[in-house]
Amino acid sequence: VFPGVRQAQWLTKTKLVEGLPPAVQSIVDNPALGLQELEERAKHMVSHARLWDTAEVAPRRERYCPMLFENLIHICRLMSAKYPSLSKRMLARNCRIAATWERESILLQVRGLSGILMNSMTPIAPVASKEEILATKEHVLETFYPIAPTIDLQEVKVYKELNDTGQCFRDGYPYSQPHTLFFLESANVRTDRFRPEQLRAKMLMFAFGNALAKARALHGNDPKVLEQPVVVQSIGTDGQLFQFMVFQLNTTDLVSNDGVKNLVWIDSDQNLYERAQCVPEVKKRVVTKPAGISGFQPDTFKKFLALYLHGTV
Amino acid sequence: MAALGARRLLRPGRRWFSETVPGAPSPPAGSLYPPVVASITAKSKAAKLRRLQRFNERVHAAATVEEKLRLYGKLQRPKYMVYPQTFALNADRWYRSFTKTVLVPGMPPRAAPAKPPVAAAGATPETSRAPEPSAEAPAAAEASGAAKTPEPSAGAAAYPDIGELRSLVCDALLQESFYQNKKRPFLYRDQDHTPGPFLTQLVSTLAASLSGRNPLLAASSLDLNPEVNYYWHHGKEVVVHGHRKGRVDPVRFQIDDNPHLQIRVPKQLPEVVPLESDLGDVPVIDHKPSKLPLFKKQYENKVFIGSKVADPCCYGHTQFHLLPDKLKRERFIRERLEDQIEVVYRSNGIASLFAWTAAQAMYQGFWNEADVTRPFVSQAVVTDGKYFAFFCYQLNTLALTAETIKDNPRKNICWGTDSKPLYDVVEDGNVKGFNDEVLLQLVHFLLNRPKEL
Repeated sequence: VFPGVRQAQWLTKTKLVEGLPPAVQSIVDNPALGLQELEERAKHMVSHARLWDTAEVAPRRERYCPMLFENLIHICRLMSAKYPSLSKRMLARNCRIAATWERESILLQVRGLSGILMNSMTPIAPVASKEEILATKEHVLETFYPIAPTIDLQEVKVYKELNDTGQCFRDGYPYSQPHTLFFLESANVRTDRFRPEQLRAKMLMFAFGNALAKARALHGNDPKVLEQPVVVQSIGTDGQLFQFMVFQLNTTDLVSNDGVKNLVWIDSDQNLYERAQCVPEVKKRVVTKPAGISGFQPDTFKKFLALYLHGTV
Repeated sequence: MAALGARRLLRPGRRWFSETVPGAPSPPAGSLYPPVVASITAKSKAAKLRRLQRFNERVHAAATVEEKLRLYGKLQRPKYMVYPQTFALNADRWYRSFTKTVLVPGMPPRAAPAKPPVAAAGATPETSRAPEPSAEAPAAAEASGAAKTPEPSAGAAAYPDIGELRSLVCDALLQESFYQNKKRPFLYRDQDHTPGPFLTQLVSTLAASLSGRNPLLAASSLDLNPEVNYYWHHGKEVVVHGHRKGRVDPVRFQIDDNPHLQIRVPKQLPEVVPLESDLGDVPVIDHKPSKLPLFKKQYENKVFIGSKVADPCCYGHTQFHLLPDKLKRERFIRERLEDQIEVVYRSNGIASLFAWTAAQAMYQGFWNEADVTRPFVSQAVVTDGKYFAFFCYQLNTLALTAETIKDNPRKNICWGTDSKPLYDVVEDGNVKGFNDEVLLQLVHFLLNRPKEL
């Protein structure tokens, strides 16, 4: 009906900031990481996923989207040669997340398969300073009067309020801090895929759900402003467009509309490459579009890597 | 072809005006007449030979590797489908005879890296394949001879920290089997539930942590669930029924394999033994392949290593295979076929590795008329989640067709171990009975690289 992120913001009591937070941006701009050589490898990985992976002429999105993701994660993981603490990360697939909260007397719940989750042993340090957090008190959440904020949400009778990411992992799991969530829109048919705006809203809701569950596990179930904000990142893609998000949970007091708000930084619609041509397009015996990857944007990959390294660098 | 214009055979005693086409290849000096060769289209053995020769010339003259592969697999006929993961009894003997492979038990000889660095040996890359001192002959049990000497101080920078790697492995195992809440496994899909994800996690984390020591791994490409195909001819048979009945045809085989994971690298692994070495005998089986049982089907002749020819990572490093539920150990024990358990691992190793190395060789332009000039080496780990078997394959020859195999003394070689358990049991968040030998062997495999690096 109208952009999903605005609705998600209201539901999760969040203030939106465009672009990536300065902490992540500084990793992108850090020359010591040697990101230049990795560009070549990233280009190869994109070519592999989009062009070379299959014995048929062109791989389908169901194949190339997860393959591209695996390849990019492989390059990121190889950086653990330089940063040994990166090996303290574990990928978990098919995690079920469940979190419930109240928002102005409406009970809301996030449930479901939340894509691929990367866990780490150490939490990410809060990205926004204390002043910024306090400044969100002044921010007024956008309301959608006369449309109710729960429009387009499924109403469900809940018999048990489930609450933890502990639902996904048992106690004593060493990699207990959710680090990044990955969402792959890999359906072949375009109508089965989420549009970028909806994907961002989904990312926000699931990141919020994970952060809330973690905060409740750490600090108990009472709604309050958190001393140590919980940070969860999220990356969504459909194989070509990437959406990057960093979510910081500052408060679990979600019933009222004022007070400290949560923060989210979104960098949306980053193209990794313009076009991947499997077979050269020939019009009237002249090659108009040569085969290969054109318009490769290394910055998008750098942001991907920066989000991966965030927390250990 | 255009040069052979119309001409007539000379009959002795008669002279005909020979019609020489301008531009025809000049016949050898002393003969005024063009060379007498067999016809192309006649139904005769000479014509068949001539057609084969022309086909071989066409493939030799192909400009690109893709064109060569296309011509090589152009003609489709019924062929035997060879499955690497099979329940057939004694399949590994049959597969060895199809691929002209010698099976050598144990791992290939190389320096034991876990020996404590002696004096000057401090920072030498101890995983280089120097021949072992004769005291440790490569026998089966001594294969992971590295495991004999217990890791002294694992903190030395020359070789990896086994304690750390062990904890990584245990974490991966515990996450998949214990900590993550999963639904019950689907019927007969136990392997996808726990061992599959465990293997993926294990390999990706180990490869990442060892990439610092092995620059080849740092440039590698990891494929999940790739496809590996290879098509070849071996031996001769007579067509039994159909419109081609009675003709002599080569026996065609095709392997279509789906390893769980594979690592491809841009540089080739070094050879283990020289190209012409003879380490044993290839079994000879007098029966038709269909007695194995093996079945014929006609479909596309594919040769594929996991990615197309344009990929720079065109050499193989290691494959990881997961045995399906159908071939689990309990099933064999229940049917009192305990000796076939190892056969399953061996046949999987031999067939998959032959297909992979041969496809790599074809990507470099070699085929059965243009045999390989350097050996192609790859490794594989076959597992069912708990038991691991390690294989190393060296491809020395691609010439397996009836004509080319006659004067070919070279044989392909496969080294393989028996399956050993990695751990005993997982209980209450603890891994009991962890076996360091298996982990060490896995680490050796991943650290394998050419001598220059």
